[in-house]
Amino acid sequence: MIALLGLVLGVVAGLFLEPTVPTWMQPYLPIAVVAALDAVFGGLRALLDGIFDDRVFVVSFVANVLVAALIVYLGDQLGVGAQLSTGVVVVLGIRIFSNAASIRRHLFSA
Amino acid sequence: MTGPADPVQPVEPVEPVKGRARLRSALHPRATRAQVVAALLCGVLGFAAAVQVRSTQDAGLSGLRQTDLVRILDDVSERSARLQAEARELEETRDRVTGDDDQAALQEARDRTRVLGILAGTLPARGPGIRLTITDPEGEVGSDVLIDALQELRDAGAEAVEVSSVDGPAVRVVASTSFVDAGGPGSGAGVEVDGTVLRPPYRFVVIGEPGTLASALEIPGGVLEVLDQRGAQGVVTQEQSVEITSLRAAASPRYARPAGAAGDADNG
Repeated sequence: MIALLGLVLGVVAGLFLEPTVPTWMQPYLPIAVVAALDAVFGGLRALLDGIFDDRVFVVSFVANVLVAALIVYLGDQLGVGAQLSTGVVVVLGIRIFSNAASIRRHLFSA
Repeated sequence: MTGPADPVQPVEPVEPVKGRARLRSALHPRATRAQVVAALLCGVLGFAAAVQVRSTQDAGLSGLRQTDLVRILDDVSERSARLQAEARELEETRDRVTGDDDQAALQEARDRTRVLGILAGTLPARGPGIRLTITDPEGEVGSDVLIDALQELRDAGAEAVEVSSVDGPAVRVVASTSFVDAGGPGSGAGVEVDGTVLRPPYRFVVIGEPGTLASALEIPGGVLEVLDQRGAQGVVTQEQSVEITSLRAAASPRYARPAGAAGDADNG
């Protein structure tokens, strides 16, 4: 409940504060958001599995974001930033889908 | 998340709790560390997502990659060069039209009207040119010969043409003029030009450079030779001043309208 509240608060803050994304962060923010989304889905799945651990959640959240950003950064340095970003998004998307499938099995037994 | 006093969950494989029950218990607001941390991170996620969505909707250039930027820059500079050329052209036209005074524009429009009037056959014309008289005692000269003669004259730079029966009706020849054998090909009944039946002898009155026009008719295999072969005779006289007085009514087009700036010819 508090987590949902936090999500809503974050969205509202983002919409109303209208912060500008710093230039250095612009290539990484979208990937970081997808990575964080993956971590949140993983956390929700762990919660439903009964193995949720806030420490693990924090670590996986931060690590996901950092690794995703690192890969994009590396790709940009190597000149394959666009392709590598696509790759990261694809992998994270697959993970989100598999997590969503397991959540669905828990909630609807289907 | 099952035990309120126990923030770190022990795994309970022996006693499986249903997912919905776990979710329900998690939805109870409790100020456990797990809840607060999850809320915090979810808040960060929501904030970042909202910011990202906003900046994507702004669709600024700042989020694009170098190659895309280079391509966009190329497009933009090409387009600006094109627009600058267009602007220069338009400025020149404006200076020409409004520059000195309205008189210049009016004069230009009048000149154009005169030129177009001569081309369209709505104004009488006078100038150096030739007369071509075709006598056709055997009735062998049909519309094909007259058209050949006309094309030859046009190629030689004829600016205004009138075709007539000698001592008969005269027709101003324009772009849309038609030649039809009256009474069928080879009947010798004359030629119908734009609906007016002309009988031989025919006469062309042509304004243009006289020498060029005459030599165009006299070339080997040209109009005069063809006339000879058919038992007819063509006589060309070069004159310093011939006058074409027959006119053609200006037909206003039913469907076609001037597009853009081409329509200002009739302003004068």
